[in-house]
Amino acid sequence: MSSQLPAQAGSEERFPLPERSSSVHFGRQDYLSVVLRLVGMELYKIRRRTMSKILVSIAAALAILLFVAIAAGVLFVQNAPLENTGNTCPPGQSTSCTTPSPDELKAQRKIAVEALSTPLRLPASLTLIVQVALTPATILIIILVGTIVGGEYSVGTIRLLYTRGPTRTQFLLGKLGAAFVCSALGLLLMVLLGILTGQLLNPVSGTPQTFDFLTADWIGRTLLYILIAVFDWFIYAVIALFFGLLGQATAAGIVAALMWYFIEPILSGILELIGNINHNAFGDFLKAIPDYFISNNMTALLANPSNLHALIVLICYFIVFIGLAWWINARRDVTT
Amino acid sequence: MLNEYYEVETPGQATDTIISTSRLTKAFGKLVAVNDLNLEVMRGDVFGFLGPNGSGKTTTIRMLLGLIRPTAGRAILFGMDNADQLPAILQRIGAIVETPVFYPYLTGMDNLRVVAAASGLQSGKINQRRIDEVLELVELRKQEKLIYRKYSLGMKQRLGIAAALLTDPELVMLDEPTNGLDPAGMFEIRQLIRRLAELGKTIFLSSHLLNEVQQVCNRVAILQKGNLIKQGNVRELLRGSEQVLIRLRSAEETQAALAALRELRDQGATWISRFYTEMDRQGQPLIRVDAPTARSAELNQLLARRDLFAAEIHPYEGSLEEVFMQLTTPVNQPGRRRGMEALASSDKSSSPEKGGA
Repeated sequence: MSSQLPAQAGSEERFPLPERSSSVHFGRQDYLSVVLRLVGMELYKIRRRTMSKILVSIAAALAILLFVAIAAGVLFVQNAPLENTGNTCPPGQSTSCTTPSPDELKAQRKIAVEALSTPLRLPASLTLIVQVALTPATILIIILVGTIVGGEYSVGTIRLLYTRGPTRTQFLLGKLGAAFVCSALGLLLMVLLGILTGQLLNPVSGTPQTFDFLTADWIGRTLLYILIAVFDWFIYAVIALFFGLLGQATAAGIVAALMWYFIEPILSGILELIGNINHNAFGDFLKAIPDYFISNNMTALLANPSNLHALIVLICYFIVFIGLAWWINARRDVTT
Repeated sequence: MLNEYYEVETPGQATDTIISTSRLTKAFGKLVAVNDLNLEVMRGDVFGFLGPNGSGKTTTIRMLLGLIRPTAGRAILFGMDNADQLPAILQRIGAIVETPVFYPYLTGMDNLRVVAAASGLQSGKINQRRIDEVLELVELRKQEKLIYRKYSLGMKQRLGIAAALLTDPELVMLDEPTNGLDPAGMFEIRQLIRRLAELGKTIFLSSHLLNEVQQVCNRVAILQKGNLIKQGNVRELLRGSEQVLIRLRSAEETQAALAALRELRDQGATWISRFYTEMDRQGQPLIRVDAPTARSAELNQLLARRDLFAAEIHPYEGSLEEVFMQLTTPVNQPGRRRGMEALASSDKSSSPEKGGA
């Protein structure tokens, strides 16, 4: 047989598409439909895993317990004896210090309760829950995405998927789509649960919720804020996806992304310190490096959504990780 | 055994080449796993892909399915090059590569739903009937709600076959589908393969279990150390290993029979390629004559003419195992002579005589 064996001409005529069983119903086969079906498939798998349910429960518990803890603090201050509230005179200073009257103590306690209970109410509750979501709860999305990508290699199901018809790029897009949906839904779940719990527990403070902050501008800024927070989660999800794919293992995806997440702030501090010690160009260079870290840029973008530098840096990270993941996925031999 | 031999014929379609590889090669560093492989699988074939462990069978299947890229050469499936048109090719194939692996936290049914989505089937309940059908076919309906990690090896293999059949593909590729199964499980899989062949599917069956392949395949290719050493029709391959076995009543008669055979060969009976004696398990001498089984009566007649009456004479059609051993064992090794028998019976003596030598 010649090595120049050509693909047979008119293969559609010689090999017409098979007549399949009447019980087999193919869906639309255009590129987007296939990708959307794969996103659905990934979400179906996620929905069916116990691990996902545990992660969602942890996220929900975090959101609820945070506000429960605040409400408990408020209750504690409210019910503390008046003498323990406000500034009282220390022993031996009775001549220069006037002991507050019970009314003054009550007023002081009211101020303390109001201040302490502020995070139970909008808009502070929103900011607080997003901050919590972006700090400890990022770990949850990293675990989820590391598992759904690396797990295909660890378990060996990758060859089951790659022999079914869609291209590898479509499978990758399916995973990315699922990671995005999980990031968005996870964050929204936490935000809604947090706000709701705050609202439910706010009456203990005795301070009513007011809605004078609720303007079109606030709604717009809030939506943008949440979108940036989703983007933050999604970037760490993409890092977990990339390393899961690179290491062909769940552990690789989770550990590498977590290391990235934890090491960046530490490295920022170290570089800052060294930069401050060396008052020269090299020191300045070291101090400038953290400006290109994900966490710093994400914080900057959350604080100021129009920070172009932060946006560009984050988009660059996003493109590099997705591009590398695509390249590895498309070229790699599946030998697991 | 050969009486269970199964041949699939699909009139009018036999000339379609479903799989054709041209000098397909895969090297992992310095290790050449598959070397210059030229395969041809026709529509309707139950094609056995044979070779010892590590001979390159799975690597070849992985290349055909696009899981790994060939170092050189091409693979054409359904007239399409799998380097360019893999998605279109894969939609027509159902495959198991090595031990089938599914999501351990999902039930058998849920796993098939996932496979259905990955295969391009419509989501929702519309394909439930098909899922039920394939589960029925592999007899897993009762265990459909059981979580996959609790499946036995046999059930896992059957679920793999169910997944491969989900889209009702034209070509079913099964890589060692009976690995780890007990005899009953192997029998079930063989029956299933036969049923699929009856449905007109082309089956590509990779295995190192030669008896299994002989029982279900009509064509085979034999691979060793990445090289294709034989490809062809099972019957034709077995024809070369046909023998007539003759047992006489005494050692003297056995010697006389050998002399008669020698004389016959010297007189120009070229259909006797060689003959030799060996001791059977009871310690009785047995003459093995490498000759077409159709000549059994003629041999019997020859011996009778010399007053040598065989206590036993019967045609022996050989086995793929013997053909395989003859092809894969080096010339100077005993296995070359009579395949597995020589390997398995160190207690047997033998004295081959090469016909025409």
